[in-house]
Amino acid sequence: MKSLGNTVNPVTAPPGPQHVPSTRTLAVASGISLLIAVIVLLVAVLPAEYGLDPLGAGRALGFVALSQAVAVAPVPPPEGDTLAPVQQGPVALYPGQYKFDSRQFVLGPYEYIEYKYHLAKDATMLFSWIADGDVMHDFHGDPDGAPANASQSFDKQPRRRAEGSFAAPFSGIHGWFWENPGGETITVRLTTAGFYTAAHEFRFDGTRQARQVRSLDAIPVGE
Amino acid sequence: MTQRMMMSVIGVALIAGAAQALAHDHFRVIGTLTKHQDSRLEVKNREGKTTAIKLDKQTVITQDKKKVGATELKVGQTLVVNAYGDSGDELLALEIRIVPPIAAGKTK
Repeated sequence: MKSLGNTVNPVTAPPGPQHVPSTRTLAVASGISLLIAVIVLLVAVLPAEYGLDPLGAGRALGFVALSQAVAVAPVPPPEGDTLAPVQQGPVALYPGQYKFDSRQFVLGPYEYIEYKYHLAKDATMLFSWIADGDVMHDFHGDPDGAPANASQSFDKQPRRRAEGSFAAPFSGIHGWFWENPGGETITVRLTTAGFYTAAHEFRFDGTRQARQVRSLDAIPVGE
Repeated sequence: MTQRMMMSVIGVALIAGAAQALAHDHFRVIGTLTKHQDSRLEVKNREGKTTAIKLDKQTVITQDKKKVGATELKVGQTLVVNAYGDSGDELLALEIRIVPPIAAGKTK
């Protein structure tokens, strides 16, 4: 048998003085990793994906613009007055004027749209809508700051039209989902008035748009 | 040092990955199937834009409200695809409906 001489069998050799990081080293490395990850999150990921820029660096580096290119950011609550009512017996007083809005939505085959207003808790709205064909609809609300699956449905009975009033059960965006279930184009007309402060349109293709609501000053005064 | 760098990279990747998953949004693509290869589709909408859509095992495909297999997808069919992704260009299909062709003049 051939002698191995002074060579060391790597399989049976006793463990040598290999470098094994200490617990402290690992903890420091983990801490550094976490710190870098948090910095990347705050500087790049949150500004680029959600438009959230807590450090201001995202705007300076141009990441905030990326969030605006793709409509994935949640709808922020409106700034300023939220028009929450103060109840005095049968009267509810608001810190601002009510608004009104009138829209027409053309839904091509199989398209859908969501149109919602921001209302404070207990704020009221009058509405009327009519479709010239069978639509799937869902009148619902999304609480401020809640995830998408926190949506609450108020009415999803099949109908082609609805008129009514609404008192918001929570602060958030409230409105309608209409879907064209067939191959013919359908038009939906919506008219509302109420103590809302903003309107948002969400289309089937992922686009999102803020819509202007009109104040009472827009109504010509009759003689 | 190498270990620290590796752990840093892993940490960043995990955070970024989680953020990407959260950023996914839902889209509906309505149009004509122009290409179907393995688990990848291309659908051209009426504006002429082509969207690449991936299928996975969870993708539900229906025709006349009945579940069908991916082999029923044929070029030229009209599809309504509910999908998600972080942009409208590369999506994962959640549900695909094979619907009758949309007659010209019935769109906007």
